[in-house]
Amino acid sequence: MTAFLRLLLWLSLGVGLGAQAATSTDLRGSLVRVRTSIQPFDQFRPWQKKSPFGLSGTGVVLPEGRVLVTASLVANRTEVGLEKPGSAEKCSAELEAIDYEANLALLKPTDPEFLKGFAGVGLGPHLKAGDTAEVWQLERNGEMLRNQAEILSAGVGRYPSDEAGFLVYGVRVSLPKRDDSYTLPLMRNGMLSGMMMAYDRDSQEGTAIPVPMIEHFLKDSADGKYAGFPTLGVSWSTLRDPNLREEVKAPLTGGILLTRVNPIGTAGRAGLKEGDVLLSVDGFKLDEDGNYRDSLYGPTSIGNLVRTRPHVGSSAKFKISRNGNEMELTGVYDRRARDEVAVPTLQFDVAPRYLILGGLVFQELTGTYLQEWGDKWSERAPQRLVQLFSFQQEMKLDPKKKIVFLSQVLPSSMTAGYQHLSGLVLTRCNGQAVGSLEDLASIADAVSAGDLVFEFMDDPGKLVLDASEVKSSGDQLGKSYGIPALRKL
Amino acid sequence: MSLGRKVLSVWLLGGLLGGCGQDGQLTEAKKNVVMVEVTSQTWDYRLPWNPGTVSSARGAGFVISGKRILTNAHVISGARYITVQREADPRKYPAKVKFVAHDCDLAMVEVEDKEFFKGTTALSLGDIPQLESVVSVYGFPIGGDRLSVTRGVVSRIDYNAYTHSGRESHLAIQIDAAINPGNSGGPVIQADKVVGVAFQGFRGDVAQNVGYMIPTPVIRRFLQDVKDGTYDHYVDIAIRWMTLENPAMRKYLGRPNDGLGVVVTDIFSEGSSDGILQKGDVLLSIDGHPIESDGSVRLQGQPVQLEEIVERKFAGDPVALEVWRKHKLEKATLKLRPAEMFSMYEVLYEPPPRYVLYGGLVFQPLTTNLMGVLAGSADLRLRQTYSLFGQDQIYRETPEPVILASVLPDPLNVYLRGLAGQVVREINGTRIRTLADVEPALREGGERTVIRFEGDQRPAVLKKAEVDQAMPRIMAQYGISDASRTEVIGRRLAKGSYSRTETK
Repeated sequence: MTAFLRLLLWLSLGVGLGAQAATSTDLRGSLVRVRTSIQPFDQFRPWQKKSPFGLSGTGVVLPEGRVLVTASLVANRTEVGLEKPGSAEKCSAELEAIDYEANLALLKPTDPEFLKGFAGVGLGPHLKAGDTAEVWQLERNGEMLRNQAEILSAGVGRYPSDEAGFLVYGVRVSLPKRDDSYTLPLMRNGMLSGMMMAYDRDSQEGTAIPVPMIEHFLKDSADGKYAGFPTLGVSWSTLRDPNLREEVKAPLTGGILLTRVNPIGTAGRAGLKEGDVLLSVDGFKLDEDGNYRDSLYGPTSIGNLVRTRPHVGSSAKFKISRNGNEMELTGVYDRRARDEVAVPTLQFDVAPRYLILGGLVFQELTGTYLQEWGDKWSERAPQRLVQLFSFQQEMKLDPKKKIVFLSQVLPSSMTAGYQHLSGLVLTRCNGQAVGSLEDLASIADAVSAGDLVFEFMDDPGKLVLDASEVKSSGDQLGKSYGIPALRKL
Repeated sequence: MSLGRKVLSVWLLGGLLGGCGQDGQLTEAKKNVVMVEVTSQTWDYRLPWNPGTVSSARGAGFVISGKRILTNAHVISGARYITVQREADPRKYPAKVKFVAHDCDLAMVEVEDKEFFKGTTALSLGDIPQLESVVSVYGFPIGGDRLSVTRGVVSRIDYNAYTHSGRESHLAIQIDAAINPGNSGGPVIQADKVVGVAFQGFRGDVAQNVGYMIPTPVIRRFLQDVKDGTYDHYVDIAIRWMTLENPAMRKYLGRPNDGLGVVVTDIFSEGSSDGILQKGDVLLSIDGHPIESDGSVRLQGQPVQLEEIVERKFAGDPVALEVWRKHKLEKATLKLRPAEMFSMYEVLYEPPPRYVLYGGLVFQPLTTNLMGVLAGSADLRLRQTYSLFGQDQIYRETPEPVILASVLPDPLNVYLRGLAGQVVREINGTRIRTLADVEPALREGGERTVIRFEGDQRPAVLKKAEVDQAMPRIMAQYGISDASRTEVIGRRLAKGSYSRTETK
């Protein structure tokens, strides 16, 4: 969430200096104001939400009567409204597709007539470094402000919700401060070339989601079943070091060293292994730094090659060198390495799950929970939780089992002596392994009298509650702490 | 066992200012208080081969029987030159450190010139003062050059972190006297007897009128310990326990609701209790003192934490425990020993930093000092190796994790600089468990040396012939006279419980 807030600041703090603006009325049929109410979930008090706030951006009307915005504009929304520029006409909108990794979302007005008369804009050509474009903004009166922009770079970079990267345009543009600037379109010749997702008014530089990403997103969402961007499921290292090349018996030039291969990922299921030198993907040769030669962008990171170009389900072809022997392997692009994990990364629009037993609050570990600890979450959050999240692959956590942990203890007579405990990973309850909150609920629900024995990965190892007390005092506990429900599964 | 609170700071005065008044009545103390001026050297863990930076500071001390001078360990740590001076004698006498106990922040200093002791009467040690009773603090704090005396009352008697060691907690007495940098090592007096040594306090922006002194049980233990000519470390029961206040937990363990007993939740292997206590044991008494369910015992009528019983003992001393195990009462006796596995969390003062230099790659053992200099840049794996070293008993497999602490740039290692900060797993196929493993492992293997790290990092590969050629160049360039320093001085590492006969 912090990343999103920063974006909000960047985009709304632009100052009206030196904007080479031009106004025009004939292009009004392509943009709408998008107003959203956002209310994030409170990970530390999973039964409630945080205070709401509003965002407003500028959405791009596509010819099919859909509105394209960044996903961060609608993350954890409670309401989305569209408003015509130059009039007060409003309409609520619903979400048709969203991809938090790619930071894109597609909205559909609930009133099919609302966008009647809007021509919509088509997708423009792919831009490269040095190209010029415009960033469009809406004036309060509905007039269009067109700011000259220059593409500084086109390469793989970070997206707000993703540690890996996708193609990103670096954009230089001087944006005046206007409302509705949380999302802004990057245009060229009246066609959509990108969506601005961050802007720093000091350097007057920003980043934009480029049109190939938008094309991928729209194509994927066209059939109503959104699959998302594929991923290889590997960690890799550059192979510039001649000594390392010799050690891994790499050919004279090119290729990268795979330092970890997730067995369930695209690469792993195609047969690639740790220690292999990956020489080419789908016929594109990789250099020692992991770049392929893109016909438009020049040397570009493998990230674009394997994540944006293919779709889930496309076939993949790899050329590798294993112990000095070159071989070809084939597979199918998918994103299981990203989706099938024990501890998911960021989650939006999903209420955190929890189960309260006699004052012990259990939650399932997610990246979103850890991020709640702030910018320095990896230092401030309980170290065991950080470890299980960050090193889950090398620890070979079973992706089918979730990490259930005691997040806090609500003091009561039942939990006397336990109040100070938090951040403890639960392994068993009454001797049975726990791999989800549902597991825990069904174990606990089956016991109506006697002990409930919780076993944890770390000190103090074991806690005990009286099952009948847990049952009988649940309502009272919820009442005294104002918790509407003792579980959300 | 807990890490030191960083807001507590030790009171050492680094600069000198002018003029101050004096108190004429408290002559007995005045005769025996000494100013300790120290020039010390602090090792630089970034450049472990360098002798370190020199600085001067001032503290206090006092004369006890046998012409011995007591002060704080932090006053004299890293000392290269010490002088002591009495209020009644303008001469400065050179002094030497006789014993130092960094774990309880005490040190003994001796002066060869017997002239120095002329007119001293030696202060004797008192007991733990009563709460609210008045004490006087003697020292040479900021604000002047001559002896300063302040008064305050005893505010609290409790276990507290001793920040100098970085990890130890012992009994400490909180007083509200105005004590400041330069008071360190000075006596705290009540009825002409020493009741404590002033040693640490909070920074002014954190809390006011909160000062701490080392009480006499800790001082007496130190004096007892050094009788055999060496100072040994404190001993530790090396367990974790939890209070036993929860009724359901008590019932599960089969204990009546009598408010007694704590439950053992973790036992550190290689520690005093290893093989004797078990997880889930309920400790009912220690050396005959009943243990309350909050972990306290009564000592001379005062409630203190059960560790206080162990605190006053020495290596090899027995501790008798009454243990409720699996619904049966048992008796257990353990023999106390120092907890070497926690030495990772000790700040090191005297011993020079250890390292191995290889082709510009600087290998250092993981220490609190190294973490101190890497602090901001340390990556997650390194931080976790450090913070989970005790908790996860990493020391069993790796008594001393070795870190590629830095890479000194040279044409040889141009592709390896990004690997600084990684935890070394193996070199030329040999698992690295302590720094001592590094040099022999580097000599093994073929024409290339392969260094592998924890996690999914690429290995570092170097050609042995090229390294041999580059070493004189690198050492000359960076002013390094020794390619390694691996001897462990004044410190014991965890033994580790991995199989010693394993094949590579």
